[in-house]
Amino acid sequence: MTGMDGLALATRGLRKSYGSQVALAGLDLSVPKGTVYGFLGPNGAGKTTTMRLLTGLIHPDSGSIELLGRPFGRRDRHRLFGVGALIESPAFYPFLSGRQNLRELAATGAPTAPGRIEELLDLTGLRDRAGDKVSTYSLGMKQRLGIAAALLSDPALLLLDEPANGLDPAGMVAMRETLRHLAANGKTVFVSSHLLGEMQQMADIVGIIAAGRLVREGPIQQLLNSEGTVRVRVAPDEVARATATLRTLGGQEGVMSTVAEPDWISVRVTSDRVGEVNRTLAEAGIWATGLESGNDLEMLFLGLTGGEPVQGGEGTFFGMAGAGPGRGPAGTGSGA
Amino acid sequence: MRLFLSGLRKLVRRQATWVTFGLLAGLLVLIVVAVGATANRPGASSAERAATLSLVTFPGAYDVILSFILGLGGLFAVIYGAAVAGSEWTFGTLKNAVARGESRSRYTLLSFASIAVVIAVGLVAAFAIGLVAALVGATLAGVSTSGLTDAATLSRLPQQFARGWLAIIEEGALGFAIATLARSQLAGIGAGIGLYFGETFAGIFLPDIVKYLPFNVATASVATGTATGGGFGGGARIASVDANTAIVLVGLWLIGALVVAALFTERAEISG
Ligand SMILES: Nc1ncnc2c1ncn2[C@@H]1O[C@H](COP(=O)(O)OP(=O)(O)OP(=O)(O)O)[C@@H](O)[C@H]1O
Ligand SMILES: [Mg+2]
Repeated sequence: MTGMDGLALATRGLRKSYGSQVALAGLDLSVPKGTVYGFLGPNGAGKTTTMRLLTGLIHPDSGSIELLGRPFGRRDRHRLFGVGALIESPAFYPFLSGRQNLRELAATGAPTAPGRIEELLDLTGLRDRAGDKVSTYSLGMKQRLGIAAALLSDPALLLLDEPANGLDPAGMVAMRETLRHLAANGKTVFVSSHLLGEMQQMADIVGIIAAGRLVREGPIQQLLNSEGTVRVRVAPDEVARATATLRTLGGQEGVMSTVAEPDWISVRVTSDRVGEVNRTLAEAGIWATGLESGNDLEMLFLGLTGGEPVQGGEGTFFGMAGAGPGRGPAGTGSGA
Repeated sequence: MRLFLSGLRKLVRRQATWVTFGLLAGLLVLIVVAVGATANRPGASSAERAATLSLVTFPGAYDVILSFILGLGGLFAVIYGAAVAGSEWTFGTLKNAVARGESRSRYTLLSFASIAVVIAVGLVAAFAIGLVAALVGATLAGVSTSGLTDAATLSRLPQQFARGWLAIIEEGALGFAIATLARSQLAGIGAGIGLYFGETFAGIFLPDIVKYLPFNVATASVATGTATGGGFGGGARIASVDANTAIVLVGLWLIGALVVAALFTERAEISG
């Protein structure tokens, strides 16, 4: 692999099937050092599979992985000494306390600094309950302990699979601050999520995965700018004419309305062109009754992962990418 | 070393460890004390009484205690080994260790090593408790305990213990390997128990093959000639190999089971 300087994590052509079920169909990720990288994708897109591959729990059918600047293959388990991970739901011995679980975990893999466990119990707000058995923990407490476990050996690269699962708002804020803090100190955080708003506040870079392939990757601001959407509301009897008019701006595919909100029209143009959209309508004698620039991650996400029924018909978000019959490995979001 | 010690700490805090030990020691105490208390009940024939009293009369009582522990201990070891190995998959804690860069086979083998140590301690402790119980039983029955210090019996004990321990950990290793293959605690325990009794049952039809199988060689390896040799839980006595051949076979089964467990763990896709 070349051109990968400055990357904490890179994959090239990563493929993985479980039996006949294709989970990853050639994944290329580039995660720069010192960033928070948001790994987004609908259910079944392959996020957890990617995490498992990155931690050697499973092995790729083909393709390569680089961790912390060096190749990671079957014989390179020591590379994981620099990696901390929380994959799917956190796993613990229910008959041990939170503190004891961290202690026994510290007996595996990379050495752990003395005092580190207490530090992490403080950081994750578990100190008061650290002596209780994990079997008595709530969902969010287990999740916090899972995050503590991932941070145990002060890893240079942190892999978190939906860490916000079950966290309360205070826990989310604390986690966001922790991850930002880590990145500010040169660590790299690779975090998967469904919570787009959370990512928008936290991530420097996002990669969007659908049906086992990366459909977009880049600095979050840049993506939002390039993938912005302007939404206008017009009188119901003018929707058809407005749609036709706006296609001069957004193109045939880029203008649509949904059944749920038939009088709102989405135009796929960057948000700084909101005035232009308004003027185009006005020149056609149509007055917008509502106007908003919707360049949020959600629109981008739904567009790229086939969440919008109009966009190429690759299934819907709620139908789960990859779940329907006849979806081949090449089935990706149409926005790519 | 830190991994091995961690394995020991985990076992000590595990309920299964104490339940298994409590069951073994409890049954032993119950039987031996009951024997002592009821031996002199009126109406028993002298032959009956002699047979009963021999259970609490030293030095013979040593062999009784030992064969009880080793007989029932074999079944318990299968279950215990399966419970510990299976829980790593069921809890998902193996995943944690692997994701931290721990060697899969090292983790597996050291986990078993700590089981072997706990079993050794458990055997000695159960034996000591059984000894006290037998003394109580003898006192209740009014039997002399002068045979307690029988030199010939005492000198045999260490070797019997060593053989017994090896046999028990072999049976534990079998449960351990089965649960690893099953990737599940419950399935492992179920399959382990099934195999244990299945082997005994198969011995009725195929004695010449079954006598080489793991549970039979374990039983045969601790047979001392004078002792009843695993009469508890062993079921029908079938043809068995001699004790010295048996101990070699026990070693082979033990190594085989551990190799299977380690190799399987090494190659497994951990995607649960
Ligand atoms: N152990 C497994 N056996 C068989 N198929 C699996 C297994 N794990 C995942 N898959 C399949 O692989 C695909 C990707 O699953 P994966 O768990 O990686 O998705 P995900 O992006 O993490 O989804 P979610 O957001 O729901 O967690 C899915 O089609 C899933 O059904
Ligand atoms: Mg997942």
